[in-house]
Amino acid sequence: MASTMKNLLAATSAGILLVALAACTPDVSSGTSTDSAAGGDAGSCSNTIVHPDAPQVSVWAWYPNINTVVDMFNKSHDNVQVCWSNAGQGGDEYAKFSTAIAAGTGAPDVIMLEAEVLPGFEIQNALVDLSQHGADKVKGNFSDGAWKDVSSGSSVYAIPVDGGPMAMIYRADIFKKYGIAIPTTWDEYAAAAQKLKDAGGPFMGDFGSNVPAWFTALMTQNGQTAWNYDSSNPQSIGIKLNDAGSQKVASYWQDLVSKKLVDTQDQFTTDYVAGLANGSYATYVSAAWAPGYLTGAGGAATGGAEWQVAPLPQWDASKPVSVNWGGSTFAVTTQAKDKDLSSTVAMELYASQEELQDGIDTQTIFPLNQQVLTSQSFADAPIAFFNGQKANGEVYIPAENAYPGYTYSPFTTYYYSELTKSMVSIIDGSKTGPQALDDLQSTMTEYAKSQGFTVK
Amino acid sequence: MTAALVTPSSDGLTAARERSRELRRPKPRRNITAHIFLVALILYFLLPLWWLFVASTKDPQGLFTGTGGALWFDKNFSLWANLQELFTYKGGIYLRWLGNSALYSLVGGVGATVLAVLAGYGFAKYRFKGRDFSFAILLGSVMVPLTALVIPTFMLMSQLHLTNTIWAVILPSLLSPFGVYLMRVYAADAIPDELLDAARVDGSGEFRTFLRVGLPLMRPAVVTVLLLSVVGTWNNYFLPLAVLSDQNLYPVTVGLGGWQALAASNNGGGTSLYTLIVVGSLVSIIPLIIAFLSLQKYWQGGLSLGALK
Amino acid sequence: MTNPAAAVASSRAHPDAATKAEATSPKPRRRRSIRRAWIGWLFIAPFGVVFLVFLVAPLLYAFYLSLFSKGLATGTVFSGLGNYVKAFSDPEFLGGVWFVIRFAVVLIPIQMAVSLAAALVLDSLTTRLAKFSRLAIFVPYAIPAVIGTLMWGFLYSPVFGPLTSIFGAFNQSAPDILSSGNIFGGLLNVVVWQWAGYYMIIIYAALRGIDPSVYEAARIDGANPRQIALRVKVPMISSALVLILVFALIGTLQFFTEPQVLKPIANGAITASFTPNIYAYNLAFQFSQFNYASTISFALGIVVFAAVYIFLFTTRKRRGGFSS
Repeated sequence: MASTMKNLLAATSAGILLVALAACTPDVSSGTSTDSAAGGDAGSCSNTIVHPDAPQVSVWAWYPNINTVVDMFNKSHDNVQVCWSNAGQGGDEYAKFSTAIAAGTGAPDVIMLEAEVLPGFEIQNALVDLSQHGADKVKGNFSDGAWKDVSSGSSVYAIPVDGGPMAMIYRADIFKKYGIAIPTTWDEYAAAAQKLKDAGGPFMGDFGSNVPAWFTALMTQNGQTAWNYDSSNPQSIGIKLNDAGSQKVASYWQDLVSKKLVDTQDQFTTDYVAGLANGSYATYVSAAWAPGYLTGAGGAATGGAEWQVAPLPQWDASKPVSVNWGGSTFAVTTQAKDKDLSSTVAMELYASQEELQDGIDTQTIFPLNQQVLTSQSFADAPIAFFNGQKANGEVYIPAENAYPGYTYSPFTTYYYSELTKSMVSIIDGSKTGPQALDDLQSTMTEYAKSQGFTVK
Repeated sequence: MTAALVTPSSDGLTAARERSRELRRPKPRRNITAHIFLVALILYFLLPLWWLFVASTKDPQGLFTGTGGALWFDKNFSLWANLQELFTYKGGIYLRWLGNSALYSLVGGVGATVLAVLAGYGFAKYRFKGRDFSFAILLGSVMVPLTALVIPTFMLMSQLHLTNTIWAVILPSLLSPFGVYLMRVYAADAIPDELLDAARVDGSGEFRTFLRVGLPLMRPAVVTVLLLSVVGTWNNYFLPLAVLSDQNLYPVTVGLGGWQALAASNNGGGTSLYTLIVVGSLVSIIPLIIAFLSLQKYWQGGLSLGALK
Repeated sequence: MTNPAAAVASSRAHPDAATKAEATSPKPRRRRSIRRAWIGWLFIAPFGVVFLVFLVAPLLYAFYLSLFSKGLATGTVFSGLGNYVKAFSDPEFLGGVWFVIRFAVVLIPIQMAVSLAAALVLDSLTTRLAKFSRLAIFVPYAIPAVIGTLMWGFLYSPVFGPLTSIFGAFNQSAPDILSSGNIFGGLLNVVVWQWAGYYMIIIYAALRGIDPSVYEAARIDGANPRQIALRVKVPMISSALVLILVFALIGTLQFFTEPQVLKPIANGAITASFTPNIYAYNLAFQFSQFNYASTISFALGIVVFAAVYIFLFTTRKRRGGFSS
């Protein structure tokens, strides 16, 4: 019996190994060319090196089309080659980066980071100030708002790649069926939600507890200036999360939730996507990357759904405020061996016309580079997801141009985790919106003090 | 599972025992209740697998807005298309992950078993100072959660220039304190000291005695520890996630976890990853289920004989 | 949940096999044993080296880290046991500990009941269905926890899962398992599903090791099958049960993977300090507090040690001890 067992196992394993070998063989050539890599510990490349003699810069990034972009970059640069690997998506990559910072080794030269986590890594001295390495050359490629997101005082900690100017995606077919006019203010949005419910229609939208960045953007739209922080004075921070404007926003959403006018499903889940696909929601208050996300997530683009996009509703239609949700950048780590060369890569990767066009075509990014944002072809491109609506020119580009930028705190992940708790308490009614924000204000103040900050 | 199954029978009455088992058939009434109970258990334990199989046959739209319900097939049967997409997506990276998993779990499993057999034999058959103390340390070590180890292990690997190589996954997986425990208990019982002494009297060296006398007697436990270690390494998630950053080196668990994160992120891009995750999960559990099917036969045979000595 | 491993070993027949073997060694052989002592070390050395390098050394370093404190805006300072004082008065940590203790108290009896009942039934049947169900119950163990949890996440979903249609058939609305109120039960189910078969097999194997003549004697004394199961079989495998319980306890107190995987779809029900292990993970990798994260890990180790000690102490008192 035992030997039968072993034979079976051996046969199974041999089969697997054969499969493995077959799978590995074609890649051997590209997988081992790491010796000359500038970031030795950061590992082998997942891409092909076109110019083996050029110095290499290691890059971590998770854009779905990054391999295409890297190939384009390497073909067009004979002075430097990118050695790319995907160290995980968002939090997974940050966890690895954090480990490498603690270990003092193992980080790549250039790393993709969302703008919101930049100060958190910067305060650990993990990021290079790119203003010392020629970042001003490319400043003009971006809007002031986008540049503010990656700067602190006179320092620059990353080069923006994509952003998420917010807008309201809506189902034109549902609006038509229930006679809803496109809301331009939040009051109109609430009234439309009530009208939908009274007519037995679907939810107007969704307030999910797992999108604290979304909620932060909406509070910012009503005048919240949460953080007063400058990396040139990193021991000191101002915190203001419970001003009157923010409290109004919190009460507003709690009201919609308690009247069951909006759902409280977590976003980015299959349930939420399915809900968008089957018409459970009339709107999706979201950012410029949302069409790509929904197309990729499957289902949402079909089934007779007529998606359109309109500008984000305003608190005061005469003084519109533009806000941003999401977006990513390239930063240079302090473990980079050649900081100048790495800075060059951070500035030039995903920045050429050709590379950006691939990002647009594959619906991977909403680029922040002005050469795209100002181009007529980008503005006039009909978007398939919106049934041919020229969404960029009509909605997203104006939103991005009006975006004033944001100052993030050096403990964004902790803040988001606490804000999520507040949002849960707003949803389940255990606290009123203003109460939740008051508690959040004191929690964050305590936290900042415990981390050694002077709270202004 | 190993436990009693590798316990050597001390009485040698196994055949008689089996006969007497056959004789004491339960009463039919109890039989029916018992079988209903078993059917309920089968339904419960296989339900998620059935769902996984059904979901693997659906295209993205079927998955999200399908007509068949969660537990039945959609009108479009796209299992083959899904498999094809799975094996070709991003240059067939999935197959590579599967191969990595096989490599890590076989090398790690075999290595862990060799170390455990040697150490278990040493603990069981030799008396020396500090033996009981080191054995207690070994057992106590499981009480500290492994999250404490991630950063120090990462730093250690960095110092050895092993991060982001297959060794960063394989070397730590050579540790199997439970394997050692198991081998010690088994060896103490299954290898009579008299046999070892007889071999030594015949002039056999210590290692040779181990190979010629000890090892053959430990074989059933060896197979069990091997399977346990292989499964343990195959199912490993957080260690490779922490020490690998090149996705060509990922095992299949980390790869699928990455797809899940990608699918749930705002950067999904143009491909629907959910069908790939579902069908990828299905394929990834097949090798181990096959291994366990064969293991089950091994148990059935082994158990009905009382032991495999 | 970590793999509580196979151990349990020859529990029934030889609860103290390892020690017994040496204890019965005749005295004259002693001197030769001592001469061979270094050979014993030699056999242990390969494992010992790996153990020292990949477990003891990292642990010592982690302990060293736990004695320092560092805020985001401050430098690293030696704080001795200060972090431990902080940990044991940290409501986040204590809340997590309270959760895993409650979870263990509910989970372990259910899990034991399911696996013991299944093992007893399987031990008394030899039909094909019994053989098949033995496999079916065990299969979840072969599935990586990450993938098993992902599957249950889909099954819990109102849209993807069958709950809506099942409850709809009775005109009831399906419970939302992925909510603060129900996540406890949702996790309970995943863990029972994943591990019950594994424990069942251990118990089953222990049962198969019992000499059937014992049952014969009980039957002659007039015991019915249920009495035999509860009064004869269960006591005879009690040391196997105690060992399983210890491993289940350790695994549950270190609860990590399942809630971590369900977190993104749990509608905020799984917080950053949901269990102590998740708290340590987030402290280290999300909030960049490596020193305090190490402290939390060791504080959890202390809790686990205390829980196991108390458990063994109470069971020993009641049963006269399982010596191993």
